[in-house]
Amino acid sequence: MKKIIFIVAAIIVGAMVVGAVDSIRPFGEPGASPMDDYFIASALKDRSSENVVTSIVFDYRGFDTIGEAAVLFTALCAITALFREGRKKL
Amino acid sequence: MNNMLHVVVLALLVLSAFFALWFKDLISSVISLAAFSVMTALEFYILQAPDVAIAEAAIGAGLSTTIYIIAIRACGKVKKSDGGDGR
Amino acid sequence: MRPLSVVVRTGCDLFAWFLIVFGANVIIHGDVTPGGGFQGGAVAATFITLLLVAYGGKKVFSWVRPGIFNGMLIFGLMAFFLLGLMGFPNSFFYNFIAVPHEVVQATGHGVIPPSGTIALMDIAVGIEVAGALSIIVLSMFRGIRLFREGPMEEESGHDR
Repeated sequence: MKKIIFIVAAIIVGAMVVGAVDSIRPFGEPGASPMDDYFIASALKDRSSENVVTSIVFDYRGFDTIGEAAVLFTALCAITALFREGRKKL
Repeated sequence: MNNMLHVVVLALLVLSAFFALWFKDLISSVISLAAFSVMTALEFYILQAPDVAIAEAAIGAGLSTTIYIIAIRACGKVKKSDGGDGR
Repeated sequence: MRPLSVVVRTGCDLFAWFLIVFGANVIIHGDVTPGGGFQGGAVAATFITLLLVAYGGKKVFSWVRPGIFNGMLIFGLMAFFLLGLMGFPNSFFYNFIAVPHEVVQATGHGVIPPSGTIALMDIAVGIEVAGALSIIVLSMFRGIRLFREGPMEEESGHDR
């Protein structure tokens, strides 16, 4: 009984994955791209940075990078608090 | 040429993912997971995202493998010192 | 963890320094080549991981002082935040020392790269990420020694 349920679920999930892959966009042609065109055109002209990804991460979307640094700092605080050497031995 | 490379890399990806689940030995499983991560980095590089490939190769294959091995060692010691799961 | 064999330690001696050099290369050239602060910092943090695996915990904790990585973390975070704050009359994270591309092509550039705060933030975030990931690995390794009470068993974490 369990195996039948497993097989049916595997067939359904596989059909959904195949359908999703079938309707994916071709490589390198996004749907709507005015923002990408603006970034690619103005990253080299205004900021003179050849790497567009870094100019987006640190300049245009700098506020999100603050969030990423906060996430890293929070993980570090949690791990340090979890593995600290207290007075009482475990 | 590019299509053939895609097929080979994806097949190795599925193979290493299968072996990561199939091994009973945890260390072998972690090494297989590192191979999975290297294959993912190669796939990102083929798909023209070298930023993500560098991050994936450094974190997935370098740091997280070490962290898993450290965790496996620590669990073994806990199990040995106070009885653990009743073995 | 006990130190590994002579072969692994010699390989570590040969190849560990290239990780630092490659990580610094990725960080410093973050605005021209692929990669950036986070990627270069992660590559540079792999160095301490390789030392830890090859030489064991006792030697590495006698070599490094974890306060150095703490200082790296705080310095990088503060430099990143202050560089973002310095462009404030216009907006947060305004690139206030960027030079446009025509001017750079006409005159060349000096010490500070023409992309302005992008390259400086790359260096700051790279230092921060290298320190943070090193602290994570080192403190997780120190967490093992808290659990050690009896004699060290060898290879006891297997599932067999």
